[in-house]
Amino acid sequence: MSSPPGSYQLTDATGAPSRDAPWIFRTYAGHSSPKASNALYRAGLERGQTGLSIAFDLPTQCGYSSDAPIARPEVGKVGVPINSLDDFHLLFDGIPLERMNTSMTINGTAMWLLALYVALARERGVAEAKLRGTIQNDIVKEYLARGTYIFPPEHSLRLIAETYEYCVDRLPEWNPSNVCSYHLQEAGATPVQEVGFALATAVGLLDRIKARGRIDAAAVARCVGRLSFFVNSGIRFVEEMCKMRAFAELWDELTRERYGVTDPKLRLFRYGVQVNSLGLTEPQPENNAWRILLEALGVTLSRKARCRALQLPAWNEAMSLPRPWDQQWALRLQQILAYETDLLEYPDLFDGNPAIAGKTASIVAGARAELDRIIAMGGVQAAVDAGYMKQALVRSMTERMARIGSGAQVVVGVNAWTDGLPSPLTGGDDGGRFSADPAAVDDALAALAATKARRDPARVAAALADLTAAAKRGDNLMEPSIACALARVTTGEWADALRAVFGEYRAITGVEGQSLELPPAQAAALRARVEAFAAAHGRRPRLVVGKPGLDGHSNGAEVIAVAARHAGWDVIYAGIRLAPDDIAVSAVEEDADLVGVSILSGSHLELTAQVIDGLRARGGGDIPVVVGGIVPKPDVARLEALGVRAVFTPADYDLAQVMSRMLDVVEGAAA
Amino acid sequence: MTDAALCAAARHGDKRAIARLVSAFEDPRPQAAPRRAAILAALADRPIGRVVGLTGAPGVGKSTLVGALAGALLTAGERNVGVVAVDPSSPLTGGALLGDRTRVRFAGDDPRLYFRSQASGAIAGGVARATHQVCRLLTRLFATVIVETVGVGQGEIEIVRIADTTWLVVQPHGGDAIQFLKAGVMEVPDGFVISKGDLGSAAGATAATLTAALRLGAAARPVIVTSAVTGAGVAELAAAIAAGPRGRLIDREPYLFERWVADEYGRAGLRRLAAAAPSTAAYLAAGGGLDGAQLAFVAAEACRDGDPDPA
Repeated sequence: MSSPPGSYQLTDATGAPSRDAPWIFRTYAGHSSPKASNALYRAGLERGQTGLSIAFDLPTQCGYSSDAPIARPEVGKVGVPINSLDDFHLLFDGIPLERMNTSMTINGTAMWLLALYVALARERGVAEAKLRGTIQNDIVKEYLARGTYIFPPEHSLRLIAETYEYCVDRLPEWNPSNVCSYHLQEAGATPVQEVGFALATAVGLLDRIKARGRIDAAAVARCVGRLSFFVNSGIRFVEEMCKMRAFAELWDELTRERYGVTDPKLRLFRYGVQVNSLGLTEPQPENNAWRILLEALGVTLSRKARCRALQLPAWNEAMSLPRPWDQQWALRLQQILAYETDLLEYPDLFDGNPAIAGKTASIVAGARAELDRIIAMGGVQAAVDAGYMKQALVRSMTERMARIGSGAQVVVGVNAWTDGLPSPLTGGDDGGRFSADPAAVDDALAALAATKARRDPARVAAALADLTAAAKRGDNLMEPSIACALARVTTGEWADALRAVFGEYRAITGVEGQSLELPPAQAAALRARVEAFAAAHGRRPRLVVGKPGLDGHSNGAEVIAVAARHAGWDVIYAGIRLAPDDIAVSAVEEDADLVGVSILSGSHLELTAQVIDGLRARGGGDIPVVVGGIVPKPDVARLEALGVRAVFTPADYDLAQVMSRMLDVVEGAAA
Repeated sequence: MTDAALCAAARHGDKRAIARLVSAFEDPRPQAAPRRAAILAALADRPIGRVVGLTGAPGVGKSTLVGALAGALLTAGERNVGVVAVDPSSPLTGGALLGDRTRVRFAGDDPRLYFRSQASGAIAGGVARATHQVCRLLTRLFATVIVETVGVGQGEIEIVRIADTTWLVVQPHGGDAIQFLKAGVMEVPDGFVISKGDLGSAAGATAATLTAALRLGAAARPVIVTSAVTGAGVAELAAAIAAGPRGRLIDREPYLFERWVADEYGRAGLRRLAAAAPSTAAYLAAGGGLDGAQLAFVAAEACRDGDPDPA
């Protein structure tokens, strides 16, 4: 049986078969210095990338210049350091802004990075209206999961609203923010939570823009049209596809009913994707290549809910930052999917399928209920303040860990089929891992010093004074920020000026009121050991848990804290974004039996050494330290040489085993 | 390090030494009592500091206030300030998750400030026991000791039995004031703090309601609106605390001893205590203080029923 051409295939205006244009191919990249990152971007574009995705280092994300003491261990680690407009000239050297689509993963300092980008366009003579791309600029998930906030919510949300109010006329093709559900899934969110929380965030933002009344109704509708999303795609790829259909359905409904947007183009659900990193494994890392492929299908198969831009992690993400070859391999997957297969030749493949329709409807119903609950609580800001979403995420994550621990959730190579042949991918001289050139950081510092020496101090002072005054008056801060950028104000100076007006935010934690189920027999055995310790020493073992440095990914630390309490420990949760000395002070004052530090930024060697030095300086050198994080194997021995008693990596998914090893350390130290 | 050496170091503000000593005062085992007695004897020349209780429902902003208040007390001339933040233990696992440190921000490494998290313990009366014991030590080392506890009902604000003055923290609009009035808790604290004063008129309205309600009661008690964000009212609160009484912890020992006897040995234990001495104070004196009296009582009970371990 055959159908006439065109009835089931996409056709062009003449009726001939046609293909959709592919999504934008991006690779999340950046490290060491603007110069090194520029080389990376140019190579990526030559290999067929069609957009840029810029990774910034943690000091830039948290509003510190590279020469700030708290910044030094983190400079250039997880992304590129940007200190001033001079760095942007280097970063985009030879890259035509007017033809580029640039995504910047930046939040607390998003307005500043956009101001730098606009300033760069002005100095190059490129019309602002031609700039296309995205700043992430979603602060809610920073409070919930990612941790690179700077100011309290009220002021952070003001900055986001002001970028919309600036862009809506001046940069009409720019997405002033990406509402991110990506990091919610990384923090353990279920599909329903992911959709519900992200939509609540979008509603909070649009309600605020509307209520501020700085732009007219037509402009508000255009803001709705520019609001885009940044989504995660996990291994349950059928469910993930349904999640995207549910997202699109609810977004259409919200924009129509809540915001009265009549133009269907402004109601389109537009989203970019980075597929899941949470499920990538360190054991048998080659398996991650298949996981990434399947996760890419979830956001490309359904034409109705296909992503606008896709970036894929590399197979070795659970082990280290990717090497150029790893990034090339990930990009080739996208090119094969878009150009070799026939995926882009068909209309939606799933319309009318009852399984897909049913699953989608169930996510729509659950997400709508979640959204209504948050709106009833007073909106997303109130829900953040109350800790509602944070606690829901920590609960989902601990449940996930428990399922993997018990084997109810199969992870191949981790809790099933764990015997594998050695991977040739990790057999090379570098072990399949990337290591940055430490000297590149010196480049960044030298460039910063040169900028400071060259600039006109009076112009800098005037620009910062204008910024401060505008912040106090409640004026839009985009133009004063652009003036700062043109004057060669630094990232740290811009953020400090606003810190002085807005104050700094300290996060609530997700650890209170949480319960966690370790397998009962193992939990009982652990508690018996804890009780024996208590009988012998007159107190339960005391664990101080904290995160030194600027990396804000708090899930690991929180899960360990909750699990240790479940095992009967007294756990002192010291929090995140701490100076190493803060953790040392906490450990000493609390008479800790064990210090647990969690570091995912790659700065584990420097930061752990500083924590241990801080303990020694305070007479607490005998307090044992354990480290958790993404620690490459060769660094485990280095940490042990520093005096670390145990190192936990993503391979240590079995929480009961982790608790047992922590008790071994404490019992050994007390004996 | 010996306890004598720890005491010597603690006098000079060595936090590691202080922390080690605090652990001795949290030790629930009977054999810790003589150790405590010896430590206190070594510090007996020191004046007894003030204990300030700060209590209120979860989420009203106690921890944030503690950070600001400790700094304000130093500014007001206090020599040094210790903080004990008490959170409940899990009745199921015995473990505890103590998160107050994330909210209390002390400036750097100030040697005049000491912060300690404490698990209430899974037994009833835990606040009174562990917290009281630690206050016995810290009042010898700090001019003011702030005890932060969760108190949501009359039975739970045990802290008034320990502290020289207790302040109840409520937030604007919380409905707490009404709840506390209903629970009769309003009779208990020596003063009231309305937190989150940066919320503006809501705080003022709550203060007005509270002041009006308090006029119905006996003595006038202060109501202070504070904001940890702007710092408003914190100096006023510090001044009120600094002008208040101190050093009465020792007077509380008979009650706390009776409480301990009741927890461990029930009403029958209390009857035997009453039979053993003309008053609890006399029993304590005969035992050479709280620690000696506890040891004597444990020994007497052990003779009676052959159970050597009350815990």
